[in-house]
Amino acid sequence: MMDKLIFGRFIPGDSFVHRLDPRAKLIFVFAFIFIVFIANNTATYAALLIFTILIILLSRIKLYFLINGLKPILILMAFTFFLHIFFTKEGDILYHWKFITIYEEGLRQGIFISVRFLVLVFVTTVLTLTTSPISITDGMEVLLNPLKKLKLPIHELALMMSISLRFIPTLMDETDKIMKAQTARGSDLTSGPIKERIKAVVPLLVPLFVSAFKRAEDLATAMEVRGYRGGEGRTRYRQLKWHVRDTIAVLSIVVMGAVLIYLRKYS
Amino acid sequence: MKTKSLAISGIIAALYVAVTLLIAPFGFTAIQFRISEMFNHLVVFNKKYMIGIVVGVIIANFFSPLGVYDLAFGVGQSVLALTITIISIRFIKGQLAKMIFNTIVFTVTMFLIAIELHLLYDLPFLYTWFTCAVGELAVMAVGIPVMMGLNKRINFNKLIED
Repeated sequence: MMDKLIFGRFIPGDSFVHRLDPRAKLIFVFAFIFIVFIANNTATYAALLIFTILIILLSRIKLYFLINGLKPILILMAFTFFLHIFFTKEGDILYHWKFITIYEEGLRQGIFISVRFLVLVFVTTVLTLTTSPISITDGMEVLLNPLKKLKLPIHELALMMSISLRFIPTLMDETDKIMKAQTARGSDLTSGPIKERIKAVVPLLVPLFVSAFKRAEDLATAMEVRGYRGGEGRTRYRQLKWHVRDTIAVLSIVVMGAVLIYLRKYS
Repeated sequence: MKTKSLAISGIIAALYVAVTLLIAPFGFTAIQFRISEMFNHLVVFNKKYMIGIVVGVIIANFFSPLGVYDLAFGVGQSVLALTITIISIRFIKGQLAKMIFNTIVFTVTMFLIAIELHLLYDLPFLYTWFTCAVGELAVMAVGIPVMMGLNKRINFNKLIED
């Protein structure tokens, strides 16, 4: 399943978007998610679409690669599109054939919701495709730093995220191995009614848990032996640097927000 | 926070993600059967497991098609439900009763996910809540005997405590 989907995958590269600071990218994406909801008419949605295409071009990720990798989502999008077309009964009738009637409002709503969805998925996917999980964690740790004043354990959270990102592939391999081992013993995980499938998960989880906890214990010992004492005074191997291009990226989203507000009011 | 509980939390998070991604017939969107949701029962054994589960949900939702939306709502749901459970189970006696309570809390709080899907896809709210809740209820209910059985083999409470 994983080979077909591209969310959460990282593709190394050297484009403008790749070189941006993870902090700038995170701010950008979070702001983008908010400004998408400003859009409410044709002009605003068109502006969003153009903006998204620009981002994709700057990231030098091939469009067909994105579309191919996001196929399951695009199918879902098509589904909601048709749901809107057939179930909204407002505005002028555009097309009528036997029991199918398409209303203007339905078509409009369908297109708007699809565009909103499309730009959201594309922009967030570009973020994960161009930023390694480790630097996303680094960026998040820095951005969440002010919350330390509220006594939230930000450093520990970030470290936990790094640990789990490090171990996800390992544990996925292990899960896969155990699945194959149990299949070889005759358990059936991929077919049959859901109840049977859930039951088949039990002999999978037991060895998985046991080995995962063993790993955690080894890791804790290794950390203690190397003198881990928490975040205070810890130095970093990878240092984040804020460049002019990062400021430009953050400014561009501010400008985009202003443009959207303008278009919403005056068009 | 002690190094050991930090390491265990990290690994629990990784386990949540691995199980979500691998043993997931449908892990995202309206009809969900996230097997990893049964890990939520871990807080019944020890509340320290909460942080690992939340981190797991954060990372798993990075992989979700809806990206940051799932991050906000999914994590919100987990934090809300886990907090309710941790606060209330002090007043409930017996492991089984605690786990049943936890299952109910998680099923009910799925309304947050339904709101999210309603906002994004315009899916009908009550219907979406129902489908999400059914999936969650099924997984969490099956999770009760599974986690109890697991607890007999590996003592969850003792593992994270010392």
